[in-house]
Amino acid sequence: MLLIALLLIPVATAAASYFARRREEMEWANIGGFGLVALAAIALVAQVLAYGTVSLANGFFYADALSALVILLTALVALVCATYSIGYLRDDQQSGELGGEDKEQFAQLRMFYTLTPLFVFSMMFVAVANNLGVMWAAIEATTLVSVFLVTFYGKVTSLEAAWKYAIIGGVGLSMALFGTLVTYYAGHLLAGSDALAGLNWSVLAQHAAQLDKTSMRLAFVLILMGYGTKAGLAPMHTWKPDAYSEAPVPSAAILSSAMLNCALYGLIRFYILTSRSLGTEYPSHLLLLFGLLSMGISVPFILAQKNLRRLLAYSSIEHGGVMVVALGLGGPLGTLGLMLHMTFHTIAKSLVFLCAGNVLQHYRTDLFSEIKGSVIRVMPLTGIIFLMAMMAIIGMPPFSLFQSEFLIVRAAIDSGHLLTGVLFVLFGTGVFAGALWHVGGMILGPKGDTPIAGRRPWRDGSLLALAAALVVIGFWVPGPLLNLIRGAAQVVSGQ
Amino acid sequence: MLMRPFLDLQLGERIITLMAALVLVLQIAVVAQRWIITHIRIFAIQSFLLAMIAATIAWFNHAPHIYVAAALTLVVKVILVPIFLERLVVRMEIREEIKPIINVPLSVAISGGLTLLGYVVAESFYHPDEAGLGHNELAVAISLFLIGFFTMINRRKALTQVLALLSLENGLFLAAISLTYGMPLIVELGILFDVLVAAMVLGILVYRIRETFESMDVSRLRRLRG
Repeated sequence: MLLIALLLIPVATAAASYFARRREEMEWANIGGFGLVALAAIALVAQVLAYGTVSLANGFFYADALSALVILLTALVALVCATYSIGYLRDDQQSGELGGEDKEQFAQLRMFYTLTPLFVFSMMFVAVANNLGVMWAAIEATTLVSVFLVTFYGKVTSLEAAWKYAIIGGVGLSMALFGTLVTYYAGHLLAGSDALAGLNWSVLAQHAAQLDKTSMRLAFVLILMGYGTKAGLAPMHTWKPDAYSEAPVPSAAILSSAMLNCALYGLIRFYILTSRSLGTEYPSHLLLLFGLLSMGISVPFILAQKNLRRLLAYSSIEHGGVMVVALGLGGPLGTLGLMLHMTFHTIAKSLVFLCAGNVLQHYRTDLFSEIKGSVIRVMPLTGIIFLMAMMAIIGMPPFSLFQSEFLIVRAAIDSGHLLTGVLFVLFGTGVFAGALWHVGGMILGPKGDTPIAGRRPWRDGSLLALAAALVVIGFWVPGPLLNLIRGAAQVVSGQ
Repeated sequence: MLMRPFLDLQLGERIITLMAALVLVLQIAVVAQRWIITHIRIFAIQSFLLAMIAATIAWFNHAPHIYVAAALTLVVKVILVPIFLERLVVRMEIREEIKPIINVPLSVAISGGLTLLGYVVAESFYHPDEAGLGHNELAVAISLFLIGFFTMINRRKALTQVLALLSLENGLFLAAISLTYGMPLIVELGILFDVLVAAMVLGILVYRIRETFESMDVSRLRRLRG
């Protein structure tokens, strides 16, 4: 039931927002809907921890620890971003960033508050679909729904960003569909494969050793290219900085954390099949290659970056690379590092995006050179949280991402991937220096003559909640969450 | 019995191979032509042939669920999507020719090369002892996919890129049918729904790009860098 509730609540929320007559009604529909989704997600986690897996409708819906982790993270990000959007969009409305007339403004708000729940719905569908073809359709749906979130402001540049996003994503996903098809072919001689179950992940995973090996090789390459495009791995990453810097900030926060997880989730599901069929060596080489390439490519772009949100987008590319490297290293240590990193990154990355939103709305610019007057003096709360979140995201101890990245480096050295370990640290240092230089300079420094910011309860409240989560999780991961993360790692490594 | 000759599997395979060959010829024709309306119509005919291939397979293999896939393809890719795109063209008043980056003779030669590549890849999947269609269909499917990619790079108009993306999907449909007699119905449904929505979303985007830039030339989309 919970699995269905996770899908129905966002759809109901979208419908409620679409038919709402006033702005407040849409806002409350979103908050209420995402609150319920978060509760359902927590209940699902409890069930998964108790029973291992949950499935429904003959195994059409299926959730194990890995899906539950992705669902939990998506639900939490969605709830925080829904709260933040209220303040953010009210500000936009007052400052005239939305269309001029009341009617136009309302139409835009309605689009935002309707598409966001649908976006969450499609991400939930990705995580609960057992059938790999259905999962593909859901991942494609995440792109289609979010295209119009990218064009939200209707500027020339947002059209360009949306076009790249839709076309590059579309091509990538057609490769992923090809990969899914080849996987289906690889398993089509298994017993009972003519039925719908032939593409069910749980069935394929059980019989992975019998899958046709040549086909699985081809399938994994196609899937890596396909879902890798969706996750923004280099060299298919070019849509990412554009989409993230044009979308409204709450949407960008969801794109950069929850949707990244969903794309990686698709990749991880196929990695499990491939590694059980061919052994870990073959997928591991490819993953390490793409992961390190993504990390490496983001370094010069971060060092020379002029624009705040584009910098954060390149940081997302880097973290996508980190997680793919962790997956490539595999084994109990690598997969544990991957799941921890996914959790920590989701919290930290959505937090930095929301902070960037506060900065953007106060200074009315994204360019480092035009942000005069240090953030910490003009908007103290945002400044402090931003600095902290930024240090977390670049992996400075004692924050949580340092721990997960350290674990991944250890996994690299333990498994004899010395070159990977060295490059990982090298690229990490490059990003560290670049991001700290740019963002540190923006946050700290003389006051300048920018007016001091007033109170902004919706936005600051969401920042504080996320920041508290980030600090707490750096020192103490609650028992059930840790069990869930361990469970998810076990699903991947099989041990 | 009247129906007897139609139960001959060999005949079925020949019909299918013939139609698959036509699909490939149409894909190469896309590379050679210059008008967007022609491109849309070729896409519709190609999709129609694919639906017929699916129906033929359903007939000869007694697999009723493939009829449903064929019917859905007919509705979505032969009727709805082409009508939507043609209306878009009329509304945007596009009259100019599409100038490919690489000239037409060379483009056709490249498509020929890609077809050859398709055959080489398909060969590795061919297990003569297994039931299933010949490798001709798979080779055509992979060629469609590759030529679709090539068209996408070669033509810088937003609408041709949408059509190229749709023909990639046609290649996948053919591959699915020739490898495994199609995907499970629910998956097929999901894919077609996505195709329909994608065509509409991209169509709206193309329209807005045309309004804003007064051109569909995607090489003008180059403000966002670095």
